[in-house]
Amino acid sequence: MDPLAELKQTFFQECEELLGALEQKLQALDEGSVDSEDVNAAFRAIHSIKGGAGAFGCTELVGFAHVFEASLDHLRSGRVAIEDAPFTLFLRCADAVADLVSAARNDEPATERPDLLAALEQVGKEPQAPAAAPPPAPVAPAAEPVAANNDAPPGIAALGNLLAMVEAKTAAPAAADDGWDDEPAPMPAPAAGKPGRDVHLRIMPEQDLFRRVIEPRVVLGSLPSEDVVSIRCDLSQVPSLESLDVSDCWLRFDVALRTELSVEDLHGRFDFSLANEEFEINFPEEAVAEAPQAAEAPEAEPEVSSAVAADLSAILAKLGAAPEAANAPDIQPEPVPVVASAPVAAVETPAVARTAPRAPAAADASTRQRQAVSVRVDLDRIDKLMNLVGEIVITQSMLVECVRSLPYDVHAKTAEGMLTLSRQTRELQDHVMAVRAQPVKAVFQRMPRLVRELAQTLGKEVRLVLEGENTEVDKTIIEELADPLTHMIRNSMDHGLETPDERVAAGKPREGTIKLIAEHRAGRIVISVTDDGRGIGRDRLLAKARSRGLVGADERLAPEEIDQLIFAAGLSTAEVISDVSGRGVGMDVVRRNVESLGGRISVDSEPGRGCKFTLALPLTLAVLEGMVIRCGDDRYVIPIASVIETQHLASTPIERLPFGQEVLRWRGEVTPLYRLGDVMGSMGTTNENIVIIAETERGNNVGIAVDEIVGQQQVVVKSLEANYGAVNGASAATILGDGLVALILDIDSMLRLAASGSRPPQSDLKMAG
Amino acid sequence: MTLQLGEKHFSSAQPEAAARRIVTFKVGDRTFGIDVGMVREIKGWQATTPLPHAAPHVRGVLNLRGVILAVYDLRTAIGLGATDATATHVIVVVDVEDKTAGLLVDSVSDIVDVPVTAVRPAPDLERDEHGLIEGLVLLDTDIVALLDLAAVIRDGGAEAQIKTSRAA
Repeated sequence: MDPLAELKQTFFQECEELLGALEQKLQALDEGSVDSEDVNAAFRAIHSIKGGAGAFGCTELVGFAHVFEASLDHLRSGRVAIEDAPFTLFLRCADAVADLVSAARNDEPATERPDLLAALEQVGKEPQAPAAAPPPAPVAPAAEPVAANNDAPPGIAALGNLLAMVEAKTAAPAAADDGWDDEPAPMPAPAAGKPGRDVHLRIMPEQDLFRRVIEPRVVLGSLPSEDVVSIRCDLSQVPSLESLDVSDCWLRFDVALRTELSVEDLHGRFDFSLANEEFEINFPEEAVAEAPQAAEAPEAEPEVSSAVAADLSAILAKLGAAPEAANAPDIQPEPVPVVASAPVAAVETPAVARTAPRAPAAADASTRQRQAVSVRVDLDRIDKLMNLVGEIVITQSMLVECVRSLPYDVHAKTAEGMLTLSRQTRELQDHVMAVRAQPVKAVFQRMPRLVRELAQTLGKEVRLVLEGENTEVDKTIIEELADPLTHMIRNSMDHGLETPDERVAAGKPREGTIKLIAEHRAGRIVISVTDDGRGIGRDRLLAKARSRGLVGADERLAPEEIDQLIFAAGLSTAEVISDVSGRGVGMDVVRRNVESLGGRISVDSEPGRGCKFTLALPLTLAVLEGMVIRCGDDRYVIPIASVIETQHLASTPIERLPFGQEVLRWRGEVTPLYRLGDVMGSMGTTNENIVIIAETERGNNVGIAVDEIVGQQQVVVKSLEANYGAVNGASAATILGDGLVALILDIDSMLRLAASGSRPPQSDLKMAG
Repeated sequence: MTLQLGEKHFSSAQPEAAARRIVTFKVGDRTFGIDVGMVREIKGWQATTPLPHAAPHVRGVLNLRGVILAVYDLRTAIGLGATDATATHVIVVVDVEDKTAGLLVDSVSDIVDVPVTAVRPAPDLERDEHGLIEGLVLLDTDIVALLDLAAVIRDGGAEAQIKTSRAA
C-alpha cells in the first residue's frame, strides 16, 4: 500500500473511533447531561474529523463537519445553553457525518444534506446577528481541557490540525472563515493586567509529538486560558516542503503567561503531554533575584543529583521505548537548551535550578503517559501470533507426553521444567487472548441511537436498559454481534412492543422497556434482548406458517414450537410491512449468521407479557479449556465450561422411560442420559464407565456416558469449516499432544443429533478404519 | 514421505503452453490424474479422526501442520469400498476451490506432460452419475481418468460406480 493510502486508512479507522465518541457524548447530553466536558469532547471529535478530512481532500465531509462544528461551538461558548440544544438534530448530523465518512472511504458520491445544514445554521441564530466574526485566533489557543487526549486521539487528524494551524498562522488574520481556522472561539482576553507573575514558557516538542498522539492544541490547551497573554508559534524549524515528513513535529511555541500557578502546577499541566525536556519555564523578572539562591544552596545538591539520576533514568527509559526519539536532539537544526538533562545544565540558569527538583515527578509522569498510549495493530498480526501460540501449546502438550514415557530419574529432572513451561505457555496464551478481548460495549453503545430513532419512526415510547456492557469477548465475536443485535432489537421494537395507547389499554406503563443484557455463561457469551411487549402472536404466526406450507394443516405444535417458527425463512407477522422490519428476512437471517459462528439463538415468549431472545456465542474462536475423554477408539474434547460433574456410571441408577430414553437421577432431578459412542458413532467397542453431567445453554442438565476421562487441558480451537464443513455434534476440532485430531463436542448440537436419531449407515467404513 | 517422480514427456515437440502437467496415481489397477497445480504435497498415510455421520467416502480429518483437513477415500468414491489403509498408502494433499483436502490413494505413479489436445472428453458414463471424471488421457499403457476434484469431494459416494480404463 502506498504511504498516502495507508495514512488515509488510518484516518478512516480513527474516524470510526471519533464517530463513536461523538455519538456517545451527544447521547449523554441528549439524555440530560449538562457537562460541558461532554460538549467539548463532541466538538473535538468532529473537529478532528474535519481536520483529517481536509488533509485528504474530502471536501463534502469538511464542509458538513465545519457547519456542524460551528453550531456545536455555540454550546461551547455558552451562546446556546446546553439544556436548549437540539441534540436530536445533532445526533442525526452525527449520522450524516458517518455516512459522509463511509462515502469518502468507499469513494462513493456523498449525499448532500441541505436540510440538516440549514437546521444547523439556525442553531444559535439570534434576532440580532453578530455584527462581525469574532477575531481570529493567531494560533490554536487555549480552551482545551486537560482530558482532551483521551477523547480525541489525534494521529492523522492532528496532521490536519497542524496544517490548519500553519495556515492560520501564515494567513491570519484573513483566514477567519475559510473552514480551516482552528478555533472560531474568541481569543481569551489578554491577561496582562491581572494578578500573578509573568512566566515565559518555551515549548519545544520532540519530532515524534504527533506519533505520541499529542496535538499542540492539547498541550497549549492544558494551560488556563485566562492566564495566557500571548502564544507565538515558531515555525523557523520547519524544513522545506520537499524534505518535510508531515508526521514530524517541528513547531516551537513561546507562551507568555501571567499566572498565579506555581512551577509545580505548570509542570503538572504538561505531565501527560510533554516530557520534562520538551519545555522550559522562565521567569523574566525573578531570574536575577533567584539566581543567588540557586547557586548558594549546597544542601540542595543531593536533591539535584538525585533529580539528575531520575532524569537519566527517564531518558534511558525513553531510549528503550523509542529509539528514534533519542536521536531527535542531534538532528534539531538549532541547538535548543535541553533542560535538566545533564549535570552541567543543572546550575546554569535559575530556571533550570527550579525545574530540576520536579524531575522525579516528571519521570513518573512519562511512565503514566506510556501506559496510556495504545498501539494500533492489524488484527491479522494478532491472529498470526495467536496461531503460533496455539502451535506452541500443542507442541508443549506433546512434550509433556513424551517426557512422561521417560525413565523415572530423567523424568523427575525434566518434570519441573515442563511444569514451568506449561505455566508460561498458558500465560502467554492468556495474554495474547487478552489483546484480542474487548468489552461488548463497542456494540452495545450503538443501540441506544437505534432505539431512539426507531421509537420516533414507529411512534412508540421505549426505554433501553443495558447491562453487562463490560463483558469481554474476543474481537472476532464483537464484529459479528452488531448485525444480529440490530435485528433483534428492531424485531422487539416493531413486533414486540405495543404503541403507548395499546399499552395503557392493556394496563401497562406507556413506555415499553427493552433490556439488552450480556453475561458469561457456560463458557459462552449470552446476550438477551427482552421486551415487555405483547409477546409472539402464536395464532397468526401459525396461520401464516400453514399458509406458506411450512407447517402441515393437521400438524399440532406445542406453543414453544410455534414460537420457534419466528426463525423460519420468509415469515413475518407484521401487519404493515414497514421500513423497520417486516420483510421476513430478519430473524431467519439472524439465526443463520449466529449458527455459522457456532452460536445459537432461541426465543421465549409469554403472550401479553413480553418476549425474550437469547443469543449464545462462543467467547472466542481461538482456545478453550477442555476435558479430553475417550469413547471406543475415539477421543473427544468436552468444553470444561459445560461440565458440571463427573461420576462413575456404575454408582448411578439408570432408568429407561417407556419410549426408550434412558434417564438418571442426579441431585433429585430426572436427567436424560446419552451414550456418546451411540450418538457420535464412535469406533471400536465402548465400555461406558463414566457419566459426565453437562449443562446445556438453556440451563438443563444431561448425562453423557463415556469410557474414560483422559485428562484436562487447554486446547486450540481449529475450524472444521475452513477445509470441510459443519459437523453435527461438534463445534470444532483440536489437535492433541500426539498430533491426532479430536472433535470438540457441542452439547446442544449433540443432543439435536441424538434427537434426530437417524444415523446413516457407516458400518463398512468402521470396519475398514 | 517424499516421492521422487521421474518425468515423462508425452511429446517434446509440443510447446509448453499447450500442455497440461498431470500427476497420476493408482487405486487398484485404475489410473487417475489431476493437474499438478492442484497438488500441494504428497504424504504417507496417517491415521485420521472419523467424523460422525459423514458421507462414506469421508475418511476423517487429520492435522497437517496445524491445519485440519478432511481426507477422502477415492476408492470409496468410485464405488470399490473402503481402502484398508497401511503405511504404504498415500494421501495426496490438494487445493480444491478454496479448501485444502486429502485424497487417499494406493500410490502415486508419475508426473506426465500431456498436450491439451490429447485430453478427450469423458464419455457419457452412465455409472459416473456424479461426474467425477472430467476427461480421459491415453498414455502408452494406461488410460488416465482426470478427476473433477470438486465433484469427488462434494458428491463422491459409495453409489458412484464408474469404470475407468475399460470404459473408454
